[in-house]
Amino acid sequence: MNMNKSLLLGLTAFVVGCETPATYKDPEGRELVVSIGKVDIQDFANAGNAMLQEMVKSPAFDSAGASPVIQVGQITNDTATNFDLSLLLSKITGPLVNAGRIRLIDSDPVASAARASTPGAAVPLPQYVLKGKILEDRANAGRTKQSSFVFQLALVEVKTSLQVWQKEKIVTKQGTTNAVGF
Amino acid sequence: MNRFLLLTAALLCGCSTVLETGDTLERAITPPDGVNYAVTRPEGGFRLDVSDGRFASKVELLAVRKSRTRGGFTQVQFDLRNTSFLRQTANFGFEWIDAAGSVTEGQSGWSPTPLEPGQITTVTATALRSDSAECRLRILAR
Repeated sequence: MNMNKSLLLGLTAFVVGCETPATYKDPEGRELVVSIGKVDIQDFANAGNAMLQEMVKSPAFDSAGASPVIQVGQITNDTATNFDLSLLLSKITGPLVNAGRIRLIDSDPVASAARASTPGAAVPLPQYVLKGKILEDRANAGRTKQSSFVFQLALVEVKTSLQVWQKEKIVTKQGTTNAVGF
Repeated sequence: MNRFLLLTAALLCGCSTVLETGDTLERAITPPDGVNYAVTRPEGGFRLDVSDGRFASKVELLAVRKSRTRGGFTQVQFDLRNTSFLRQTANFGFEWIDAAGSVTEGQSGWSPTPLEPGQITTVTATALRSDSAECRLRILAR
C-alpha cells in the first residue's frame, strides 16, 4: 500500500513536471503553435507577405504611377473558421500605405460624417479594387490530417474592370496533432 | 503495481520526442540553429554571415542579382540550392537597408520553403521604399 502511495506521488510529480507554464513568444518567431485545422497567425503573415511581394513586383502595379488610389472590395472567407480578414489585409495594405506606395480609401463612418460636413471635401475615385477569397481543403490518410488554406487576391482596374494582377498562395499543414514551432 | 508501471511508461512516451529521420537526430544533438544572413553590397556582390555552419554546408547560395523595377525600386533575387541528399526546409525573411545603413523596411516572420535534394529556389525581394538600397536576407533551418 505504501509502495502504491509513493508511486502515485511520483506520477503526480511527473505529470506536473510535463506541464508547460505560459510564456510570451515573439509573434514573428519560430515557436508559435502550428494548428492543422485552422489558419494560424503566422499563416496570415506568410500569405500576406507573399501576396505583397508578388503584387509590388507585378508590371501592372509597378507602372500604376505614384500612390494609386485603392479600395478594398469584397473579400470572402469560405473556410470553416471564422476570423477577421484584416489579419490578412493589414499585412498587404499596411506596408504599402506606410511606404506611401498607395492611397487607401477608408470607409470609416466617423470620417465619412466629418467629411460630409466639410465644404469642398471629396473622396478620390479608386483606380484599383483589391478583392479576394480564402478557401480550404482537407484530406487525411489514416491518422495523418492535412489542411490547405488557399488565399486568392486580385487587383481590378476600375476604369476597365479588368484584372491586372492576381495571385494564389496556398498554405498546407500536415500532421497527426497540433505542434509548437517549426 | 503493473498498472502503475504501464502508466509511467505511457507518460514517459507522451513526454518524449520521436526522432523520425537522421536529420532530426542530428538536429537534436547539435546546438540550436542560428540565423544565417546574406547581405547585398553597394559595390555589387554579397556578403555571407554564417551562424549555422551545419545548415550552410547543405544549402548553397548560388547567386545574388540586384536590379531596379520600372518604377525605380530595388529588387534582389537570391538563388539557393539544396546540395545535400536530404530534403531541407529553409525559412526566409529579409530587411531593407538604406545608404546610411539604417533598416528601412522588412518582411516580418519567416516564410518556410521546402527544398528537395538538388532543388534550386529563388527568393525575390522588392523594396517598397525608394531609399531602400541593400537587402539583408535571413535564412533559418527548419
